[in-house]
Amino acid sequence: MGEILQYLLTGLSIGGIYALVALGFYIMWEATKAANFTHGDVYMFGAVVCVVLVERGFPLLIAAAMAMVAAAAVGALIERLLVRPFNKEPNAIGWMLTTIAIGIVIESTATITYGPLGRPLASPLAERPIRFGGAGIYPQELLLPIVAILATIALELFYRRTTLGRAMRAVAVNPTAAGLMGINPFRIAMIAYALAAAIGALAGILIAPVVQATPTMGALIGLKAFGVAIVAGIANARGVVIVGICYGVIEKFIEAYISTGARNAVGFTLMILALLLFPQGIFGRREVVKV
Amino acid sequence: MKERWQFLIILALGVAFLVVFRQTEPTGYQMGLMMRCMILMIVTIGLNILIGHAGLVSLGQAALYGLGAYVAAWLAVKQGMQFLPAVAAGIIATAIFGAILAYPTVRVRGVYLAVITIAFGLVFQNILVEWLSVTGGTQGLIGIPRGNVFGISLTRPIYFWVVAGCLILAFIVQYNIIHSRYGRAMRATAQSENAAKALGINLAGTRTLAFVISAALAGLAGGLYTFLNLFVNYETFTFFHSVSFLLMVILGGTGSLAGPLIGTSILVYIAEILQDLQEWQILAYGVLLAVVMFVMPRGIVGTAGELYARLTTKPRARETQAWPNRSVPLADIHGEGTERGQLVLKTDGLTLRFGGLTAVDNVKLEVSSGTVHALIGPNGAGKSSVLNLISGFYTPTSGTIAFFGNSIAGHPSYELARRGIARTFQNTELFGQMNVLENVLVGFHAHYRNTLFETLFRLPRFGHEERRFLAQAHQLLNFVGLSDYAEEEARNLPFGHQRRLEIARALALRPKLLLLDEPAAGLTHGEIEDLKALIRLLADNGVTVILVEHHVEMVMTVSDHVTVLDYGRVIASGSAAQVQDNPQVIEAYFGTGGAEFARQHAVAAAK
Repeated sequence: MGEILQYLLTGLSIGGIYALVALGFYIMWEATKAANFTHGDVYMFGAVVCVVLVERGFPLLIAAAMAMVAAAAVGALIERLLVRPFNKEPNAIGWMLTTIAIGIVIESTATITYGPLGRPLASPLAERPIRFGGAGIYPQELLLPIVAILATIALELFYRRTTLGRAMRAVAVNPTAAGLMGINPFRIAMIAYALAAAIGALAGILIAPVVQATPTMGALIGLKAFGVAIVAGIANARGVVIVGICYGVIEKFIEAYISTGARNAVGFTLMILALLLFPQGIFGRREVVKV
Repeated sequence: MKERWQFLIILALGVAFLVVFRQTEPTGYQMGLMMRCMILMIVTIGLNILIGHAGLVSLGQAALYGLGAYVAAWLAVKQGMQFLPAVAAGIIATAIFGAILAYPTVRVRGVYLAVITIAFGLVFQNILVEWLSVTGGTQGLIGIPRGNVFGISLTRPIYFWVVAGCLILAFIVQYNIIHSRYGRAMRATAQSENAAKALGINLAGTRTLAFVISAALAGLAGGLYTFLNLFVNYETFTFFHSVSFLLMVILGGTGSLAGPLIGTSILVYIAEILQDLQEWQILAYGVLLAVVMFVMPRGIVGTAGELYARLTTKPRARETQAWPNRSVPLADIHGEGTERGQLVLKTDGLTLRFGGLTAVDNVKLEVSSGTVHALIGPNGAGKSSVLNLISGFYTPTSGTIAFFGNSIAGHPSYELARRGIARTFQNTELFGQMNVLENVLVGFHAHYRNTLFETLFRLPRFGHEERRFLAQAHQLLNFVGLSDYAEEEARNLPFGHQRRLEIARALALRPKLLLLDEPAAGLTHGEIEDLKALIRLLADNGVTVILVEHHVEMVMTVSDHVTVLDYGRVIASGSAAQVQDNPQVIEAYFGTGGAEFARQHAVAAAK
């Protein structure tokens, strides 16, 4: 019983990361029908910058906020320089390559300047685990799924209740018509990428006290989160976060009951199967094509 | 023809380069590098067919390459198999996986497909590392015996020519595929799924073919790599390598013949230089990737081609001929007509619902051969939906559709096209980046009989058919007056010409039933007159036409029979004159009191 609870708790925590990173993919996709393919490296960037700032003597919360702002700036730049010029026609693939390129650059720059080894980030929430039944977990880890859910609620409120949020939804549905209504879809796209990057960086900062920040921490997480977003149907925030958290839990149970080594093979196979069963994603809408 | 010369020149230059390279007595290192480069070229040629022609992006190509390598290695090490069967088994295994990977493309494309291929690549790598007993884990498979073919040991100098031969073969396969109906079908599905379906192209089959060919080439390359390196390890087949393959193709220029060769050579060479940079290597690679995309988004060959075209093309006066060109014998164009008086199409109780909305409600139609049957009605009356039902784009909720007495309701559109139902689209759907002639050639797709094997090896029947349909395509262009535009990309045509081309392409199918969806929309007065003449000419030659149109004057002059729809229901049916006087029709168009208005209007007009 304790064991199962333990897997569930750690799974929720990992799932929280997938959910937050996948949420970023969703936000970018809504605005541009493209995304920063290596969004995982923005997640890493947030963690690494935060660690460095804390090492320089900034208080944790200030450092975290600064790291998120820096990540948002990087996100906006990526949209302006690497996505917009390569996403001009439907089914364009240029943005995939340019954002993979920037991911490689960010990751290798981090390796060269920060060093390949992980460094800790001290957090008051990662000092003493709390125990339930036979399971133990740091409060820091529990923060992840909670933040993921809060972020989803905040995002939905933002999309529904604010003028900017409504403008973003309008662009998602029809950028041309939105443009005719006086909304600048390019500005919306930049804001979306900045927002996605800030959320991604937040996920990195939240997990850094538990796993240590390394330059390679983001690559695989990013790919998995992208898979999660696509499997969810990349159509609504709730779906993306639910699938993200579930994927984390499923991974932990695969580790526990099959083997650690099989985690990715089984996990990705499940993703492929899910896409075969639900070609538009689990929560996706099927688009009726008018001829 | 131009492409054929390019192909032969590239082939000759390539072979000459290899011969000269061997004469310069390269070091062992240079030999190894050259062979590795040639092997990678085989992979990128396959990927180029997939991306550049079928429009499908694979980010798991390194895994297919690795699958070919590991299958060959495992068979050679653990089963003692010889070079040829081991490599062949690798090719077959990857081709099968290619077909499996292609399965989702039946329904998903673009980024969904990219995710599936990425996931496949990561699963593959995970299995390589973890399945110790078969793959040797992180260490990989070592001690692969040198290849041996018919008692000849494949020493490096001999193996060099084996690899070179395979590359040349791959290059020829690429040319033979893309310059055939198969290649045209791939480009057609990539550029307009709807139009491709309506011309009898099986989308799933075409995409599966593209995937299988590209996978088989990756498998061949993998097998060759195994017997070059004599050990295999998972590190050669990672996601990073899949990205490199994509970069090679895009750097060279997607869809071009020489692109994969150029892109691969440059990147292999650069990777060699970058090795001295150690930790900076990956950074430099990333920067380079970004720079290439900025400077040459269409790749080296694409950009050079554009420049060349800009420098050499002089503006040329092109003449648009009148259409329909009656000097072209119609019998040659559309072949078999149908006998007069046959019942071509019959629908009964035809109903289509989208959720709560009934778009088509209990529609009964009878269309006899050689007639023009018009469907009219206010916007949203369900006219286009009826066309979409007849051409298989929608499946009816209930009711029957019979084509020459055979039920066709719910059959896929490509199959109906092959039976002789052709259509045009409300928003003209051409294959924009293919030229005018090719657009028409795609229309003949369903009439080709030669097999993939005959196409790959250019057997006589391939040539016969290709020449015959080429001549017929020219004739069709002549018929619609577009002969001077044959080489122009379809998207550059003015709107009226696009309509003509779309009709010519539909005629290439030699339809028994031609569905025209608002063909007059956006045309000038003169163009509409031509269109009327064309429709009459076709009907008089035994082609049955169903016409959806808002242009009432045109409908009334060309139609033998008019059916009026409103809110999905048939409200009147009969000859043009009968329908015109029907009060229900007038009400549908002008509202209540419309009859009175129409009468006064007619009186005023008569004065």
